[in-house]
Amino acid sequence: MAEAGAVAAAVAHNEKEGERTLNRLALAFVALGLIFAAVAASSGDVFFFRLASEALIFGGLALSVDLLLGFAGMLSLGQALFFGLGAYVSALVLKNLLPSFWLAMGITLAVATVAGMVAAVISIRARGVYFALITFGLAQVVAKVVYNVPRLGASDGIIGIPSIRIHLGLFDIDAASPAGFFLFCLGFMMLLYAACVYLMRSPAGRVLAAIRSNEDRVPFLGYPVGLAKVLAFVLAADVAALSGALYPMLRGFVSPELLYFEVSGNAVITAIIGGAGTLIGPLYGSVLIVGLRSVIGSYTSHHLIVIGSLFMLAVVFFPQGLIGFIARRREQRRLRRVAVVP
Amino acid sequence: MHGLLETLQFVYAPQVVNGLSIGVAVILMALGLTILFGLLDVINMAHGEFYALGAYLAVSLLAAGVDFWLCLLVVPLLMLPLGYVTERLLIQRVFNRKDRHVLTLLLTFGLGIVLEDAYRIVFGPNTVRVDSPISGAANVLGMYFPNYRLFVMGVGALIIALVWVVVFRTRLGAMVRAAAHDRQMASSLGVPVSRVYSGTFAFGVALAGLAGVLLAPIYSVFPTMGKDFILLAFTVVIVGGMGSIKGAVIAGLVLMQIQALASLYISPVWTEPLLFGVMVLVLMWRPQGLFGKLGNG
Repeated sequence: MAEAGAVAAAVAHNEKEGERTLNRLALAFVALGLIFAAVAASSGDVFFFRLASEALIFGGLALSVDLLLGFAGMLSLGQALFFGLGAYVSALVLKNLLPSFWLAMGITLAVATVAGMVAAVISIRARGVYFALITFGLAQVVAKVVYNVPRLGASDGIIGIPSIRIHLGLFDIDAASPAGFFLFCLGFMMLLYAACVYLMRSPAGRVLAAIRSNEDRVPFLGYPVGLAKVLAFVLAADVAALSGALYPMLRGFVSPELLYFEVSGNAVITAIIGGAGTLIGPLYGSVLIVGLRSVIGSYTSHHLIVIGSLFMLAVVFFPQGLIGFIARRREQRRLRRVAVVP
Repeated sequence: MHGLLETLQFVYAPQVVNGLSIGVAVILMALGLTILFGLLDVINMAHGEFYALGAYLAVSLLAAGVDFWLCLLVVPLLMLPLGYVTERLLIQRVFNRKDRHVLTLLLTFGLGIVLEDAYRIVFGPNTVRVDSPISGAANVLGMYFPNYRLFVMGVGALIIALVWVVVFRTRLGAMVRAAAHDRQMASSLGVPVSRVYSGTFAFGVALAGLAGVLLAPIYSVFPTMGKDFILLAFTVVIVGGMGSIKGAVIAGLVLMQIQALASLYISPVWTEPLLFGVMVLVLMWRPQGLFGKLGNG
């Protein structure tokens, strides 16, 4: 009996250590972001600030994929649906209603929550690959509709979105300033990340982990599977939409391409290369992928071959991804240290 | 009474025949998908790219002076080793892991991305047209239909019937089904399971390639041609029940009739959401699709 208690304590300790590793990696991400900002600002750069802001925004999308894939074991192939939804809602609010950051974010959050619930009702009953294919189809259908609705700009999208100032209480940030907007994106994404981490380490997050390992057993333990999955789905929809809402502030336009499968697929690639189930991995992954695409893009337009091959190699040889790999290496080292002591 | 007949003949009948011809095309795609899932547990996201490859191979062979009818035979034969190698090099590597459904889906998704970009490099980004090997049109029920479309419908039906015979009425098919049903048992009875898996994958890929050749003269050939088709094929497979050949055929015919007839009343843009709505309703009622599975997929 006492032995079982000791094992449980050791497992809990190990888990805490693992969480601490991820926390450190998250802090390192912020530090790297700040160092980059300092270097880029001192050289008066614009291009790399914009690129890095984009990496962060698409990192948020990958984060939402990881929420579903890494924790509930639900592979969404249509997360671009919510990303694009956020971008369109934010663009419409900023252009037609009022160029206010908080209003755009608030309306995006509300719309995404409702849309997430509707999509959850449609897709949540399906499991495994069925879920993946339904989310894929759902996003594809919505993209087709948006592409053909003239009031949403049809194939051209919406252009001419006014540049805004983001009021943060003590000070304002001009979204047109490359450095300012990058720092804002960094802060915003880390807030989203922290919220996700908090929720996933809470009891509700544990239910998701239980669903992932054995969905059929969870109801016998008295937890509502359906509710937990709907909540995870809506949370992921909100994260994706809020990330998407930043897109028109960065680029000044939105287009139906944001809803396409390429975007969803890219988010899955990013989450897996970065490390599914780590939450910070997708942000690292996004920086990696966006950076890689930009570097390859300066030589050839065929970056997809490289990224696709990299992705296949990751699935076969590094299924735990970059951050998952690092975290596991540290864990092994720690356990070896512990094991040496008799 | 006279008016009603004319409406039937000139408004509905052409749509029904159109729906049939698209239905056969979609079923050819769906057939490969459903076999790969039912027998191998693999969601082949690269199926559309293999379909495109079939079309591109036909374009290249035609340009080299090969007869179209020979292409119909040669292209699937060329695709067989390709599918075999793909299964050996990629699918086998993750096949024994726990979440192989998701892993094979991700792998074939990656493969699809690479292939699509490769087509852009090798064959160029532009759309290629393939001349129809059968010209002219035939009079059906007082309406004219291109002969080639009628030919595709006939050949498609023949292929579907052949696949069914191979899977359910031959020794080879029995071995494949046995391997899918219980790997260990089939293996101990002397079925070379791993080769059967690779062979089945090759068969599915060849089927996609054959569809590519057959449909190249109807739809034009371009790098992303598989993408537009794959969602339709997946819808058919899901509604019919993943892994069920009968389900794919029935769902393909019914869904394409719905699409064809609905496009008389609503804008074609909305027919795809309509089909998707039908799929969602079917899934709410029967999450496993209309028909049971083949093997234990």
